Amino acid sequence: MLDAIDNELLKTVAGLEEIPKGAYNIRKNGKLLSRNTTANIDIESYPESKGIKITFKSGTKNESVHIPVILSQADLYDVVQNDFIIGDDCDVTIIAGCGIHCGTEKGEGHSGIHEFHLGKRSKVKYIEKHFAIGEGTGKRILNPVTRVFLQEDARIEMELTQISGVDEAKRTNEATLGPRSSLLISEKVMTEGAQNAMSNNNIILEGRDSKAEVLARSVIKGDSLQEFRAVIEAREKCYGHLECDAIVMDNGKSETVPSLKSLHPEAELTHEAAIGKIADEQLIKLMTLGMDYDEAVKKIIQGFLK
Amino acid sequence: MLEVNDIFFSIEEKENNGNIYKKDILNGISYSFQRGKFYAITGPNGSGKTTLAKVVMGIYNQTSGSILLEGNDISDMSITNRAKQGIAYGFQHPARFKGMKFRDLLSIAAKSDKEDDLVKILIGVGICSLDFLDKEVSNKLSGGEIKKVELATIIAQNPKVAIYDEPDTGIDLWTIGPMVELLKKECKDNNNVTVVVSHNEKFLEAADEIIIVNKGKIVFKGDIAAAMPLLRDMDFCNWKNICGGVMDVRCHR
Repeated sequence: MLDAIDNELLKTVAGLEEIPKGAYNIRKNGKLLSRNTTANIDIESYPESKGIKITFKSGTKNESVHIPVILSQADLYDVVQNDFIIGDDCDVTIIAGCGIHCGTEKGEGHSGIHEFHLGKRSKVKYIEKHFAIGEGTGKRILNPVTRVFLQEDARIEMELTQISGVDEAKRTNEATLGPRSSLLISEKVMTEGAQNAMSNNNIILEGRDSKAEVLARSVIKGDSLQEFRAVIEAREKCYGHLECDAIVMDNGKSETVPSLKSLHPEAELTHEAAIGKIADEQLIKLMTLGMDYDEAVKKIIQGFLK
Repeated sequence: MLEVNDIFFSIEEKENNGNIYKKDILNGISYSFQRGKFYAITGPNGSGKTTLAKVVMGIYNQTSGSILLEGNDISDMSITNRAKQGIAYGFQHPARFKGMKFRDLLSIAAKSDKEDDLVKILIGVGICSLDFLDKEVSNKLSGGEIKKVELATIIAQNPKVAIYDEPDTGIDLWTIGPMVELLKKECKDNNNVTVVVSHNEKFLEAADEIIIVNKGKIVFKGDIAAAMPLLRDMDFCNWKNICGGVMDVRCHR
């Protein structure tokens, strides 16, 4: 059964106010809570609750699957492997996320390994949100891993968001791109207090005319720390772009290590980064529109992470 | 309506030998701006025009002197409160925001996010495409586009005092005429004080009164006919030491 806390977590990480239409798999405290499959989307459990395999039939279009995870049990560290097998010519949306409610001094955490295999010409939009609440002092830890394999002409757009309340996060994104396939990773992370977040990205452009863009936006408040590392390796004629922007506030610390490896003379790789506090000219502009300083800061961050 | 009284503004600068000295930017500026009038402030580069405009908005704090809006002393008021009192300032080099859309900025300025209200403003400033509302106010906008965005945020505030700092920078020649007409119309319709800092003759011709500032002082106030001889006078130019006052060189003015 879902209680009020579960509902709040589900609403935040998966935008769910009620049980969704279509396929879904809701996992609570390391166990399956409820599931639905459709004619085109099948969900099977791996043994011992170690994860699920979600299979999309070739030609599945305009369907979505929700797979939120919620944790509210002290001292539980949930580890799962979820595999997404997507046939050819699909166009689907996958909404994942983890919400933690921590009510005690004991920590809670989740490591989700998500592996995506996209068939030819398939399009996937993947939305993942991480969020933690609760009055407990225990550490809330999230270590997500995404691995993506794109066949010819496949496209995946990944929106990865860590909203607030997560004490430690180590994210790994890996992708291998086939011919003419494309990948867009858009990562947004906000940390505060003594939190730290690390993001490691490793993208291999293997197919001719493949295209990868990694856009990272960070807001680093309080004494928090964020590290962002990304490697784009071009093995063919292809295009890769890395963009990392961070707003640093208070005593926040940021380390950004971009790396572009070109192993083919026709590869085109670009990188841009901007790290620093909020520009005075932005704050002053909003103040000339009647906002006070705090409202202006809030508005700028809201836009930056939107 | 808006009075500036004996405004001085100075900054500290470092000499090559490390000594700090006081550099005067504004040297006792006084002026009274009237409702429903269109003013053009002009003068050579570095004369203090933008500084004066920023002092009125509260972005810089005057070293001495006072500013009155409708008889109330706003000399020590914050930028935010001056904006709330009806002063608006359009930047020469507008800020760009990653992730913020024109719609967001315009909604803050207009204090409304209703589509109808925003569209009215768009049409008013001559932005015909509604798609423009969802453009990001970032480096993706051209120099001309960002100036139109800036202009729209001023008009959206329906201010009592509208100050435009070089609004024509980056604007194509075909748009300047309509822009002058728009600002004049806004001035008359809303009976506000409109001040344009500009070198552009079109704004100077349209002004009810031209104010020429040089070396931090008002050196002239009057109409275009009386202003022209001064504007053509090379002795007036702060770049004169570069060209030596020779005519027909590539002019930096």
